[in-house]
Amino acid sequence: MDTSTHPDPQGSLIEDLKRGNSFAYKEAVREYSPGMLAVARFYLDHSSAEEIVQDCWVTVIDAIQKFEGRSGLKTWLHRIVANRCKNKLRSINREVATDFSESLDPELADRFNAKGRWDLPPKLKFHESADTLMENDALSGCLDKHLSALPETQRSALMLYEAHQHKSEDVCNILDINASNLRVLLHRARQKIFLMVETFQETGKC
Amino acid sequence: MLMCRDLADIASDYIDGELTNRQNLSVKMHLMMCKHCRTFIGNLRASTDLLKVHASRQENEELIRKIDERVAEALGARKSESDGCK
Repeated sequence: MDTSTHPDPQGSLIEDLKRGNSFAYKEAVREYSPGMLAVARFYLDHSSAEEIVQDCWVTVIDAIQKFEGRSGLKTWLHRIVANRCKNKLRSINREVATDFSESLDPELADRFNAKGRWDLPPKLKFHESADTLMENDALSGCLDKHLSALPETQRSALMLYEAHQHKSEDVCNILDINASNLRVLLHRARQKIFLMVETFQETGKC
Repeated sequence: MLMCRDLADIASDYIDGELTNRQNLSVKMHLMMCKHCRTFIGNLRASTDLLKVHASRQENEELIRKIDERVAEALGARKSESDGCK
């Protein structure tokens, strides 16, 4: 097999997809759909985003024949979704509206005095590791709730960067935003989660 | 001089190593002197790690089932087409 254009083990998955192997499709759908949905949710409402992701997979069956491995499979799939979403937005004459003005969350900003020093500093240290914290079902449920409440643009940026581990450059290309706007989205989302964990640790409430 | 509020503003950039050398140095100097900001950075980093673990565990079973169905249908149609050409 020619591995010069794509590294294994992804190379063999791509070859299987090109051959139309249904098990390879099941594996790829499970692996890549959550990230594809995160991309689509940046641009569209939930049901339109799910439809786009489903349509994309049907398109992939033919398009994969032309995949040359210049980017990774994940980035290629995410770009297909982004392009479809942008076409859809163009067809209905809509744009994604996002506020990139402030990087500090207003709730956190209120905790500093006029001189810029902490008025209400963080009291507790989050001692436990992420894996230990995640064993707490109540905290996990609370995280779900707060992740769902994040603006779509923040959540998509966060999912692609943290969960799907894209490089900043790829996230910017897929979401059509510049690097400093991506930094604002990530920082805003992380602060929300920081505030949530802090409240949870102090009060046990979500 | 970097104040606590300024540090909170660029804390994610510090965690991700996105600051310039000069900014990075002033954050480190501030952290040496400020216990509250050390706690803040540590907690923001812990929140980020938590998000990484949590977000990567999120799945959407219903969507995956629907996609599997549509892909199987499309693969079936493709196979019948190519069989028909033989």
